[in-house]
Amino acid sequence: MTLKECYDAFGGDYAEVTARLRNEERVIKFIGMFLKDESFANLEKALKENNLPEAFRAAHTLKGICGNLSFTRLHRSSHGLTELLRGAKFSAEIPLLFDVVKKDYELAKENIQNLLRSM
Amino acid sequence: MTTVNVSNKQKILIVDDSELNRAILKDILNDQFLIEEAENGKEALLLLDKSCKDADLILLDIVMPHMDGFAFMRRLRRKRRQNSVPVIMISAENMPSAVVQAFDLGVSDFISRPFDPEIVRRRVLNTIMLYAKQKQLLRMVLEQVYEKEQQSGLMVSMLSHIVEFRNGESGPHILHIQKITDLFLKYLPQITDKYPLSREESALIGLASALHDIGKIAIPGDILNKPGRLTDEEYKTMKTHTVAGAQILKQLDKIHQQAKLTQVSYQICRWHHERWDGKGYPDGLKGDDIPLSAQIVALADVYDALTSQRVYKPAFSHEKAVQMITEGQCGAFNPLLLECLVQMEAVLKKELQHSSVRKTGRRERNLIAAHILNKMNVESQRSEK
Repeated sequence: MTLKECYDAFGGDYAEVTARLRNEERVIKFIGMFLKDESFANLEKALKENNLPEAFRAAHTLKGICGNLSFTRLHRSSHGLTELLRGAKFSAEIPLLFDVVKKDYELAKENIQNLLRSM
Repeated sequence: MTTVNVSNKQKILIVDDSELNRAILKDILNDQFLIEEAENGKEALLLLDKSCKDADLILLDIVMPHMDGFAFMRRLRRKRRQNSVPVIMISAENMPSAVVQAFDLGVSDFISRPFDPEIVRRRVLNTIMLYAKQKQLLRMVLEQVYEKEQQSGLMVSMLSHIVEFRNGESGPHILHIQKITDLFLKYLPQITDKYPLSREESALIGLASALHDIGKIAIPGDILNKPGRLTDEEYKTMKTHTVAGAQILKQLDKIHQQAKLTQVSYQICRWHHERWDGKGYPDGLKGDDIPLSAQIVALADVYDALTSQRVYKPAFSHEKAVQMITEGQCGAFNPLLLECLVQMEAVLKKELQHSSVRKTGRRERNLIAAHILNKMNVESQRSEK
């Protein structure tokens, strides 16, 4: 599996990220770190505990990271969730959109793991 | 984590709650800079007191737990002089209101996420260079101010010594006059708010006090240095040194006449023998018609004459001198100045013991620099609006 195939598989923008970070090596190093990043876990935990300010922060961080790594699909869903959580007011859409974020996150994670394993 | 800054690399503090975000920034900047990291505003504030005291730049996220970027900026502003370390905010929070708020809180630049590392590197470099330049300019201003003060002090000192030399007067007289004058200017505001003086005006009066007797250059030497008592006629001539000094200054170039130093010197030369009761010379001015500068120098002159030794008299003690002055044996003075003189006892005794040259202190210079900086800030804020 190549880095490009990996990005294509989870809805990332390979061209954009390599243009910005200049080389594949760097991209691979950072997506490896993405697996250890705790913002998604923090988001899930905060929502379970109904801690909306904390959920906002976690979603915001996740969105920022996805932006830097050009995880386009996950960036879109986490961005939407961040905006829903802003102001810490509960709405019925929050759990729905969280499910999308979770799906996008797991897809990215799975593909990155596959890529790293294949290298 | 403490790093000793042994290299000449500048230090950047990265404040972001995400390790991944910090790693990306660190990756860009690691070669050129020393990097320190903090996970939130609180941690960053702690580091600024310790290993990051000398940070050259802060890269700051907005949304963070414990203390976010905005709260950090507010704390930083309160804590330090605002200009001491530049901050670049980096955030995925790119709504205009957030960006404007960041600038309002004093950040130097705002970078939106996702960012291009090369552009971040360039903007970081620019900001650091700009601040280094500002610091350098500040240092240059300080040196210039110091130099200028030294130079004009030196010129005035030379000039007054020429006069003293001809008078055959005792050496430290002019130095004492300056010191006593400076002390009056410093302590008078503690007694009364009747004479509001800016720092600049006070400094000029202190400087100009050394010139109070330049008019004596116009007095014939045989009168000036006559060992015995002056005749009435001679005394009349002697008294003209006040007007003579003022006339010398009046004959300066127009441009020089407009200088504040010239104007203050004029007041002092002409009116330092006036009396509070109007019985002095040359104009018989009364009370506060006599400029404060001349009032102070007149009193300083008398006090120093009394407390210094002369061929015809011993040096009187401070107490004796103050007694003679307040009893009206040596002229009539502004009661507020007399009160000030009494209260300055300890400091007068101490200061006049060491006859060191009058200098612009480090503190004074820093005040001047801060004043200039403030002006610059006010103007740049004005131009922003």
